[in-house]
Amino acid sequence: MMKDKDISDKNFILTAVIGSLLVMALVIGTTLWASNETASETDEAVTAVSHFYLKAMADRRARIITNLINNNFEHMEKLLPIIAEENIDSQETLRAVIGKIKTLLSLKRFALVDEDNVVYTQYTTYTGGSRHAFLTADKLNKREISTVYLYGSSKQLCLVIPTDGLVLLGKPFKACFVQIDIEDIASLLAFDDPGRTCFGLYDRSGVNLSNTSLGSIVSGQNILEATKDILPKPEWEKMCRDFDDEAYGGLTFAFNGAEETLFYVPIPDAGWMMVILIRESIINDQIRGISEKHLEISNLQIGVTLGSMLLFAAVLLWRLWKISRMKLEAEMENSRAFESLANTDALTGVRNKHAYSEDEAALNRKIMGREIEKLAVVACDINGLKVVNDTKGHAAGDKLIKDASALLREYFVHGTVYRTGGDEFVVLLQEKGYDTREETIRSLNEIVEANIATDGVVISMGYSTLEPNDERLHDVFERADRMMYERKQELKQMGAKTREE
Amino acid sequence: MALDVKKICLAAASAAAAAFLIYPASYSTAGSGADASGKESGAETLSAARREKDVQGAVNFEHALDSYQPKKDHYNFYFTYKIVHPWWDAVALGMEDAQRQYLKQGITVTYEYMAPNAASAADQTERLLGAQQGGYDVIGVDVADEAIISPIIDEMVDSGCKVMTFSSSDAAVGCKRIAYVGNTHNYKDGADLTEALCEKLNYEGEVAILVGSKGAPCHEDRAKGAKDTIAKYGNMKIAAIEYDMDSVDLAYELALKILREHPNLAGLVCCNMSNPVGVARAVVETGSDVVIVGMDHDQEALHYLDDGVIYCLGVQDCYSIGFETLQTAVKIADGNLPGEMFPEKRDEPTTIIRQQDAALMLSLLYGDVL
Repeated sequence: MMKDKDISDKNFILTAVIGSLLVMALVIGTTLWASNETASETDEAVTAVSHFYLKAMADRRARIITNLINNNFEHMEKLLPIIAEENIDSQETLRAVIGKIKTLLSLKRFALVDEDNVVYTQYTTYTGGSRHAFLTADKLNKREISTVYLYGSSKQLCLVIPTDGLVLLGKPFKACFVQIDIEDIASLLAFDDPGRTCFGLYDRSGVNLSNTSLGSIVSGQNILEATKDILPKPEWEKMCRDFDDEAYGGLTFAFNGAEETLFYVPIPDAGWMMVILIRESIINDQIRGISEKHLEISNLQIGVTLGSMLLFAAVLLWRLWKISRMKLEAEMENSRAFESLANTDALTGVRNKHAYSEDEAALNRKIMGREIEKLAVVACDINGLKVVNDTKGHAAGDKLIKDASALLREYFVHGTVYRTGGDEFVVLLQEKGYDTREETIRSLNEIVEANIATDGVVISMGYSTLEPNDERLHDVFERADRMMYERKQELKQMGAKTREE
Repeated sequence: MALDVKKICLAAASAAAAAFLIYPASYSTAGSGADASGKESGAETLSAARREKDVQGAVNFEHALDSYQPKKDHYNFYFTYKIVHPWWDAVALGMEDAQRQYLKQGITVTYEYMAPNAASAADQTERLLGAQQGGYDVIGVDVADEAIISPIIDEMVDSGCKVMTFSSSDAAVGCKRIAYVGNTHNYKDGADLTEALCEKLNYEGEVAILVGSKGAPCHEDRAKGAKDTIAKYGNMKIAAIEYDMDSVDLAYELALKILREHPNLAGLVCCNMSNPVGVARAVVETGSDVVIVGMDHDQEALHYLDDGVIYCLGVQDCYSIGFETLQTAVKIADGNLPGEMFPEKRDEPTTIIRQQDAALMLSLLYGDVL
């Protein structure tokens, strides 16, 4: 049963270790495979992703501008009735109203224009016929979007709506407009992309409106001129046509040894082109960055898994070791108890006949091997036990045996006492017990002799020591036994009880 | 309005490189003939670096208010100028810059900046008399006709109005206007441009003069400078003098007429901003090789200069004129008179630029190197 249990524990540990190793190998292998697959597919995805990414980005930014335009138009449309209802009785109150609207819409320039092309702003009133191109028309019929190229290189988006029926200060007004700095629009567009791509706003002839640069390729100047010598002629001509037709387009080209991807989308109504450029390597880096991040996570996962499994295995083994040890200790304890029980005389607590037989066998091996010199055997027999049993009962007989045993143990402190029969005891003396045997036996005999008179415990003892010719312990015992019978006769003569009585 | 320094530096570098390639040894401000590339070369030489510096300094967009502390927190001005025209729109941008800077100091400056669609001393007189009743802190005027407007200004000053002149034309000598900010050297500008033309033509041939508005002191002074310069050379003569009334379309028509009527015409002097644009269009259309010199910074004219159609242009610093006009007006409104605080005449420079300067000037003024 114990052996089966050992085998079961070993199997369990082995299975746990092998299982753990297999799981670890599986996790590592799967992760590495997935990482390698991701990395190998990255390059293939880059081209497709770059066009999609740039188009999506360009479209999003174009929508931002379109929304900006539409929102400003809507704001102006909604504000006109409010302006008409204001009690504007002087140029000062008109300026104040314009100032409120400017603040409300966070505009740099919001203005109204009367029928004489006089422009009213928050702080100035000026004749604007030559300054604003939309004023060359006698009458405005619809919304107008234009790009203003200001002296001083600033470029602005101008949004105009007609103001039919608006009369202020007794004069009909023909238009109201906002002007937005295109560099401010570029800043707004750059907000969602901190430096990963280059972009610019251009008019249809390629003039840079946003004062942004497309990296080192187009540093602020006309994009069509700047790319003329960089792009293959057919692609450059197509780009020029696309700009003129306000059409979508994209191309990838090499510049200074690097792959560049450029995409352009028209911005409806504004007459602008949104151009976005990204270096192929940046996309690669970004995607590779994502892959590496995933790889790091996988590695971390592997590490954590391995660590957890090792920890688990260590804890498991420790627990198994501890359980095994506890079981082993318990079994040893049981064994010792069992052995002790098997070798102990239940009545007296001294070693029994079985123990004597085991010890005798062990001593015989030593005697045969001449490994022992100091050995004495004391043969003991309780006098009068039968008489006590017969006259006083077995309980009294048992008590006599116990008293005899106690007496022997008291005197043979350095020897081993065995109860080998009902009233027979043997004492084996070695080393110190051997050296003090005569004194001990003499002392005990004196007590025994004194007990005859008091009806105490009387033990007949004979002893013998190992002699060179002895081949086994029994040789010694026989001499001791003979001596014990002789002593028994002596004691009888002294008055001790005997079996015959 | 702030300039893109990076862009300017790049354009400057490009221009420097071009100048070095085209003019490795020298730079001419008054050329004596064309070299193999068709570009001019001359006796008076300057380094390429000096040239770039001059061109970059032709218009100053980087202004800051001086240390003067205005006495009020609100000023209201009235300015009137000769004609609705892009040249004065450039002046307006300088004024708006100053207005924004005052606003940052907590000082509100409001003003009207008005002109008729056609230059008219009568219209200007009407506007000034109207403004006299408007309670403005200062009235500024770009004199349409000094003979007519100067007495009006005197009357206004006598009645307690604070009047200044600005931009292109001052009032007559002895006028009571408080100060002038603008071009004080129109005659010299006309003379310098014409001198460059005469040198280019090797001091011989027929030259026509196109003027802007009749009676406008700046235009008339330049025309006078041109006439006097041509008169110095015996082999040169004036073939025609015409007024385009500050209209590009009229300038174009007049140029076609002159080219048709004077087939031997060698050169054309343009005294205002619209002249060179209209003339260049006509010259390109007819395929003429007439040499054009002219005034101002019109973007189309600068492109013609870049293409070699126009030989040279006199560029005025309109932005600075506008900025300084408003700053001077604030000081005058506070009761200050010309002296240490501001001069009685603040001169703003004119820089003559040529083909090799065109790209840089386009970049400076319009952010456009085409």
